[in-house]
Amino acid sequence: MDKAASIARRGISALGGALTYSYPLLLVLAVWEVIAQAGLVRPLFLPTVTQVFEQFWTLLLEGEIVAPLLMSLYRAFAGLALSVAVGVVIGLLMARSRFANWAFDPLVSFGFPAPKIAFVPIFILWFGIDSLSKILLVAFTCVFPMIVATHHGAMAVSRTIIWSAEAMGTSERQMLSRVIFPSSLPYIFAGIRVTLPVALIIAFTTEMIAGGGGVGALLMFAQRFFQTPTVFVYILVMLTTGFILDRLVLRLEAWLMPWLDEQATS
Amino acid sequence: MSVTERIGRLAMGAEYPWLRSVSQMMPIVAVVLVWQLAVDLGLVDRNFLPSFTDTIRALWDITRNGELTINLLVSTYRAVGGLLIGSLLGVMIGMAMATSKRADQFLGPLVATTYSLPKSSLVPLFILWFGIGDVMNMLTVVLACLLPVIVSTYHGVRAVPPVMLWSAQAMNTGPSSMRWRILLPAAMPSILTGVRIALGFCFVLTISAEMIAAKVGIGKLIFFYGESGAYAHMFGGLLAVVVVAYVLDRLLIAFMHYLLRWHDSISASSAHG
Amino acid sequence: MTSIRVEHLNKSYKTRDGDVPALQDINLNVQEGEFVSIVGPSGCGKSTLLYIIGGFITADSGDLRVSGSPIAGPGIDRGVVFQEYALFPWLNVSQNIRYGLEMTGVPREQRDEIVQRLVRTIGLGGFENRFPRELSGGMRQRVAIARTLAYNPKILLLDEPFGALDAQTRETMQDELLRLWLAHRKTVIMVTHDVSEAVYLSERVLVMSKRPGRMVEEFKIDLDRSGDREKMILSEDFNKIRNEVWLAVRRQTGSLQ
Repeated sequence: MDKAASIARRGISALGGALTYSYPLLLVLAVWEVIAQAGLVRPLFLPTVTQVFEQFWTLLLEGEIVAPLLMSLYRAFAGLALSVAVGVVIGLLMARSRFANWAFDPLVSFGFPAPKIAFVPIFILWFGIDSLSKILLVAFTCVFPMIVATHHGAMAVSRTIIWSAEAMGTSERQMLSRVIFPSSLPYIFAGIRVTLPVALIIAFTTEMIAGGGGVGALLMFAQRFFQTPTVFVYILVMLTTGFILDRLVLRLEAWLMPWLDEQATS
Repeated sequence: MSVTERIGRLAMGAEYPWLRSVSQMMPIVAVVLVWQLAVDLGLVDRNFLPSFTDTIRALWDITRNGELTINLLVSTYRAVGGLLIGSLLGVMIGMAMATSKRADQFLGPLVATTYSLPKSSLVPLFILWFGIGDVMNMLTVVLACLLPVIVSTYHGVRAVPPVMLWSAQAMNTGPSSMRWRILLPAAMPSILTGVRIALGFCFVLTISAEMIAAKVGIGKLIFFYGESGAYAHMFGGLLAVVVVAYVLDRLLIAFMHYLLRWHDSISASSAHG
Repeated sequence: MTSIRVEHLNKSYKTRDGDVPALQDINLNVQEGEFVSIVGPSGCGKSTLLYIIGGFITADSGDLRVSGSPIAGPGIDRGVVFQEYALFPWLNVSQNIRYGLEMTGVPREQRDEIVQRLVRTIGLGGFENRFPRELSGGMRQRVAIARTLAYNPKILLLDEPFGALDAQTRETMQDELLRLWLAHRKTVIMVTHDVSEAVYLSERVLVMSKRPGRMVEEFKIDLDRSGDREKMILSEDFNKIRNEVWLAVRRQTGSLQ
């Protein structure tokens, strides 16, 4: 009986905590609903919260939520994985090899601030409007922050550690794989955490610009036909997806590297 | 000294400083050369990849007839305007959240939630609300720039050492002076880092919005050339955008160096990251 | 005339596991123009007491009066010098020193004159336009002291002001402080872990106990400070008192049987 009571108490306090935290959001929703219901704004501009919810269910049951979302996520993750693989390698190389640093530095300097989204028409030209072009554009966009994060991490490996390893006769390849790479992992992970939302955004945006399926394409479709509730639904889907993924990555990071102080790699 | 060492020293500008800039440009020159040769030698289809010279010629064309300049100016105006407004608002909101518990409790959850929203997803909604044009575009940019600046301002202000605040308090600093004469400069390194991130976003969002739907702008122009098959012109516009973004980033860095010349880490700041 | 009076002061910190007492029934009287040091084992709460007198944190109970009236937070009557990180890094030396003058409404013409005079007094002529990051630890602390002296507070609260400096610089700064005090005779409360420093500079040394901090012993220091440092440090009187105070602190750390 005591155990149940204590669980109940913790559950209630957690719920209470969640409510106090989210009251501004609930307030916004409430204001939205009131304004829309009162007809202060045309339904074309602002449907009611209930309308948006109903539309969400309709779309869900018609299969217009899960399948497109999975497609968008697939593109985002595939592109991210590719960018991590390439970015980590280049970042590590740049940290260890003067030549690699010289060769890649200007490319990264120009590429980092460039708005890679402007390359959409090229990627469509070369790779079509299906998933391939989107995956590659995601990878192209995400590789730069991954290079920088990895490079930063590799450079941050304390010199004394490297000297000790050298003194013990570590070869260059071993140095990279067994000393520098593991030490850079926290930074790499921080880079992934920061780049994941970017991957998602690029996937959604390319779908919005070029079509070819996915949540972004459906969002544009709804806008073209003035289906405002659907527009809201897809925006909220994107919002929730991003939010959940971010939380998951934080959990994952805490689980994989419990000794980490978050401040250290920000 | 071995040959490689000698080359390395020259490249670093050890003896002739101007050589350093040359050597830094070499990889880019190499890429351009490979590009040009690949097309000229027929290794790549000219329809899919115009050569470097084709691109430059097309770029010169559209610069001469003013098409590039107008569109580039419009996009830059939207991007930088949105960045400035977003940064200013971001600093004010971040400062409020960092100094007032109530503001933090109210705005905190809102900020945390909208962080995960791709701001480009709001473009269709804004098209419905405001139509195609500057308002829709700049509003998206402002919203995208808000968040990184809010977060970096918030963290920067919270990280100010308490003894610094106490010293200021002992010298009669009122709440308003505290915010704008103490907290703001102390948090400036952090704030400017956020602004730099926002700078990266602002162009992306302007161009995204233009590619989705716009009458003018470099995004629209590039998209239009792509659709019409004028690939050399498309590449030309792209090149122009990349250069502008690079230059603006460099300007911001220079500005940051000046503004933060009192800061410890000023010598440690790098070109990227 | 009592400058600072503390009666039955108590302070606890609230933690997840309940209240942790930091200060217990503190009683303290400091006369105007007196130089008093507070020493004690690490963590005994001596800095906490200083912060309460400074008005940066509030006591839980007890009476605190400065110049006869209770305090309402920090004020320009009590200048503070902290151990580190208190200078404004975005302002140069003269701007830092000028800050208090601006905040206390000193007329513009006078400001420049006061700043120039202080810069010379602390021996940083030529460094007016340098930023704190370009200065050594000792120089920064000099600026911190100058900044506080600029607007002429009646009371000086020093929280381990030389704790972050190397031994040589520390000695130089102690002599500087002594010289300034002898010239202006402000009321000074200094918190330090360095017993020799306390005896060297103060007229009275108060010893606090281990946490929760209580005032346990008091030593009157009646040494001749007119001579130079070597004479004082090497003298029998100095060492006798210094040893007594040192033992008193040792007793409080519990290392002595």
